[in-house]
Amino acid sequence: MHIARRIRRLVAVGAIAALAATSASAQVRVGSKNFTEQFIVAEIYAQALEAAGIKVERRINLGGTLIAHKALEEKQIDLYPEYTGTMLIAVLKGEPMTDRKAVYDKVKAEYAAKGLVVLNETSFQNTYNMVVRPETAAQYKLETLSDLARVSKDLRLGAGPEFRDRKDGLPGLKAKYGMEFKEDLQMAIGLRYQALAGRQIDVVNGYSTDGMIGALKLKRLRDDRNLWPPYYLVPVVRKDALDADPKIADVLNRVNALLDEATMTEMNYKVDGEKEEPKDVARAFLKARGIVR
Amino acid sequence: MLAETWAYLAAHPRQFGTALSTHVTLSASALAIAIVLAVPVGIWVAHSRRGALVAINAANVGRTLPSLAILALVMPLLGTGFAPALFALTLLALPPILINTCTAVRGVDPDVVDAARGMGMTAIDLVRKVKLPIALPVIFAGIRTAAIQVISGAVLAAYIGGGGLGDFITAGIAMMAVPQLLVGAVPATLLALGTDFALGRLQTAFTPPGLRRP
Amino acid sequence: MKWLANHWDQVLVALGEHVAISLTALAIAGALALAIGILAARNDRVYNAALAVSGVLYTIPTLAFLALLIPLVGLGKANAVICMVAFSLMIMIRNVATGIREVPRDVVEAAEGMGMSRAEVLTKIELPLALPVIVAGLRIATVTVISVTVVAAYVNAGGLGTLIFAGISNDFAPKIWTGALAACALAVAADLCLGRFEARLRRRTS
Repeated sequence: MHIARRIRRLVAVGAIAALAATSASAQVRVGSKNFTEQFIVAEIYAQALEAAGIKVERRINLGGTLIAHKALEEKQIDLYPEYTGTMLIAVLKGEPMTDRKAVYDKVKAEYAAKGLVVLNETSFQNTYNMVVRPETAAQYKLETLSDLARVSKDLRLGAGPEFRDRKDGLPGLKAKYGMEFKEDLQMAIGLRYQALAGRQIDVVNGYSTDGMIGALKLKRLRDDRNLWPPYYLVPVVRKDALDADPKIADVLNRVNALLDEATMTEMNYKVDGEKEEPKDVARAFLKARGIVR
Repeated sequence: MLAETWAYLAAHPRQFGTALSTHVTLSASALAIAIVLAVPVGIWVAHSRRGALVAINAANVGRTLPSLAILALVMPLLGTGFAPALFALTLLALPPILINTCTAVRGVDPDVVDAARGMGMTAIDLVRKVKLPIALPVIFAGIRTAAIQVISGAVLAAYIGGGGLGDFITAGIAMMAVPQLLVGAVPATLLALGTDFALGRLQTAFTPPGLRRP
Repeated sequence: MKWLANHWDQVLVALGEHVAISLTALAIAGALALAIGILAARNDRVYNAALAVSGVLYTIPTLAFLALLIPLVGLGKANAVICMVAFSLMIMIRNVATGIREVPRDVVEAAEGMGMSRAEVLTKIELPLALPVIVAGLRIATVTVISVTVVAAYVNAGGLGTLIFAGISNDFAPKIWTGALAACALAVAADLCLGRFEARLRRRTS
């Protein structure tokens, strides 16, 4: 008779204990956005911090840009990797600028006003590359985005959820190049290349360090009218977290500087093409560079 | 917030129209196919006790399976898009219809069946004029349950590229854009509630007057 | 299943999260349903109102509900738990109320005749006799909650859904299989266990 009630009480206690355990305090919370390069870089940051003796809690794959930024502002995470161009356009809602240093200085200053510190940039950027299958490029003689704009009305675009509404996304292509597509399909970021290879779509908003672009021998189209700002990778950290432990900045700057375009692309391919786990790929990278044993 | 939502909708009429029509098409088609498959099978297995037991047990297991799990499992097998989503949603709709049809037909009072046989009805007549009308309300209840399952599942179809109102929701979540999110979530909710209400009315209409609850 | 063998720790973490969230939601829903159900058992107006409201909640598509909660509570476990409690209420309130109502009147009157207070009648007679029906409702609610938790991974609640979404977004079938089959297995196992418990209770009270 009372068994059920006793069970229910036990269950409630157990559940509360379990929930409490999962939100136990950790020193630094590392977040990430929702695609492969983010998973890898966040793991690199996290493991580098751990190697320096700092306790880390991971909150990988939070969602899109604005979700990650919101998590940072609301102190749900302490840091995550972001791109200067994205910060300028998607977060600060600024107009596209093409000077690398100007963009960096601007985002650094405006983020500082929000209590967020922008650390040092990587040496390479990860910008948008509109890509098509080699046959499509040959058929329509495509080299640049202006070429694409001529024929885009006959082509289907596939992109992740953010591209449709960001100023550096579809609206930007329309404004700068007059580009409109026959169809604009929204899909999970990781499924774009499969859909392109499978001919469900003809054009994809690739990221320049995507490993699949080289693997599928896709044609990258040049941004001849300079629509896009620079997108250099930076760790963005809450000022409070840095004040609590300044070592964080040194560790992240050091490890960020070790990244280069070829390595990043190869790591992306290991996860997207060879289905390895981001944390294993990150570990291998840090091991090779002597940061972890 | 509501004004912004309305503004977003007004600014993207074609996308919304496509999403809504895909959603309705997916749901209606899945439901229709499931009815065509499950009702005859349900009537057929109802005649054998073992058949009914097997069917009901299998369908009961089917009913416990999480909808998203079914949709996700279809993806490695059939890929992404409308057709795989339709397949998965049909699978989701089958169990409630099958269970209710089978239980309903078996539940027809044996005395009523005897009386009808005594009046000289053939087996087919028996099904058509006696068993089916009595069983219809319960079958309809199963269809109604399935319809809600399918509309809810169709929202998830966005994850495997099936389109539908779920696209607005996932995009809204990704962009943290509440108006966009609401453009997906509110119509989906209204669609589900409206369908439930309409089918509820139909269910009463299908109940033979003699069996309607006062 | 090589992936599973190499990453069983990931799966176990996800499974643990899934169970934790589900239990939390069921505990809260159970407490609420018990309170409301007891009231509804005695009062037709409360019964109809409670069932109408919880019925509407139950009809709302899962992802839409989670999405509608985002402007109010953001992402995360709280969002998921609220949604699950809302979905579970209808079936559990209905079963608590129906279970109590089905207790034969003469048994209740006999107990009252023996001098038991209202509270004692409730706790010593009505609830225990209603238990099989209540557990039947709990069984359906449990399966519902497990199913919702799978979707809730999308609003960062954790659970087995994270494996599924990761697999879908990276086009990596083993993760999809593992997450989806684990979720199905959990649902079926819970249903079987509670089913057996329900059957045992029915035998004891009949």
